Amino acid sequence: MENNIYQVYEDEIRLLEEEIKLLTEEYEDIQQESTFFSDEEILMSIKLFQREFQGESKGHEYPVDLKAQLESLERDLSFLMKFTGIQFTSHSKKTLEKSGNRTVQKHRLSGNCRSLPFQLEFQLLEMQNKENMSALITDLSVIMESGEYSDLSKLVSSTEEHGNLLLFFRSLSSYAEWYEHRRCTFLHFK
Amino acid sequence: GVLAHLEMLEAQAHELALKQEETEQQEEKLARLKARVQELRVQRDELRAKRELQQKQLLEKGGVVTDLAQHSAQSVLEWKIKSIKAMLQVFYLTGISGKLTKRGVCFCISTAYEGTYLDCYHLDVLTKPEVQIQRHSVPIFIPLEQIANKYLQTDIGRFLSVLSDHLNAYAGRRYQADQLEEHFSDLIEGTLQRNSLCNLLVFNYNVSRDSKTFPFSAKLLYGDLCCSLPTEVIVSCTPNAPASLAEIAAAHSDVFRRMALHKAFHSFSNAKETQD
Repeated sequence: MENNIYQVYEDEIRLLEEEIKLLTEEYEDIQQESTFFSDEEILMSIKLFQREFQGESKGHEYPVDLKAQLESLERDLSFLMKFTGIQFTSHSKKTLEKSGNRTVQKHRLSGNCRSLPFQLEFQLLEMQNKENMSALITDLSVIMESGEYSDLSKLVSSTEEHGNLLLFFRSLSSYAEWYEHRRCTFLHFK
Repeated sequence: GVLAHLEMLEAQAHELALKQEETEQQEEKLARLKARVQELRVQRDELRAKRELQQKQLLEKGGVVTDLAQHSAQSVLEWKIKSIKAMLQVFYLTGISGKLTKRGVCFCISTAYEGTYLDCYHLDVLTKPEVQIQRHSVPIFIPLEQIANKYLQTDIGRFLSVLSDHLNAYAGRRYQADQLEEHFSDLIEGTLQRNSLCNLLVFNYNVSRDSKTFPFSAKLLYGDLCCSLPTEVIVSCTPNAPASLAEIAAAHSDVFRRMALHKAFHSFSNAKETQD
């Protein structure tokens, strides 16, 4: 009987805490997604950041970590792009839906796979269940100059039909390698 | 007598005091809860106002804001870090991603069936003194050692590509079997038998024709480990079944060879609907 009096308040507290969490995440996501700084601005900020914390006591670990973290991530990204041959030139995402354990984001991605440029747009649905996170691609659209290569246009239409994003990248990768090899061979004979 | 009466009064007073204490505690707790609700409501309203302001500002500036002056150096770096992390996550979608480590690279091979991403597998590769795999999460029935012996030393990109083919094909086969069990359990008789590599599937299923149910059995062998379609299919019905059923068995055998397992069953139920 007594527990019922508390229950009403405890329920509202839980609902409010959830709403606060969602609003905060939404706000931060939109801040992140609607901001852009160029490479020069980033470099300027690194210098400014270092200068700001130069006078601080030696015990300060945080400021150093931020710069080191950035550099480490940039090294990882640079390595992956070089290793896979997939260079992303621009990436933007927009959170369309976020609730409980479900997030839907719209991505716009452009880049080159070796020398072949591509542009992609897709929606990514991520759901967190007990053990893991599941990911699903929908509304995938691909823009590629296929020129006289019918294989490439077949790849594009098949990819769009089945939402085969991973297969698209793997196929494009091996196609681009073949294409590069072919181009080099022709140049060699010129 | 008097003593007993006094004792009774004492006990009553004690009980009353306890009850009062309980009531006070209840009221205190209620007051605390009410205060907390108020606190959270204020916080929530502030956030709502912040969001509305944000929306307004975005509409005014027409989308992306790049006002360096309004941001501290720290927040600019934090933005960049988040932005790079987002791009590294996109690499996960391409099938091959990873992180540099002290002695090499930790690669992550992701698998997917069409637009659904499935498990990912990790390989901790050392590059010094020579290229070797220190640790990995590749299942034991995938011929990792064979593939490594062939490609790891000479062309690590090729090694990962071939391994990815094996893993994606395995993940695709497993996904099809799982989908069959999940969505067509009413048609499957008994349990679907499969080996760990999911390249051998055996199951019994029912086909209805003219309001009669006929048992069929299917055996699918996936001879190409880099492929998620079978190379050999045997579909059979009961030995003394009419010729029309034998035709169906042959047709199904053909469908299983060309189409993913769960899609094949989906086409069967569609065909049945048009029949009925």
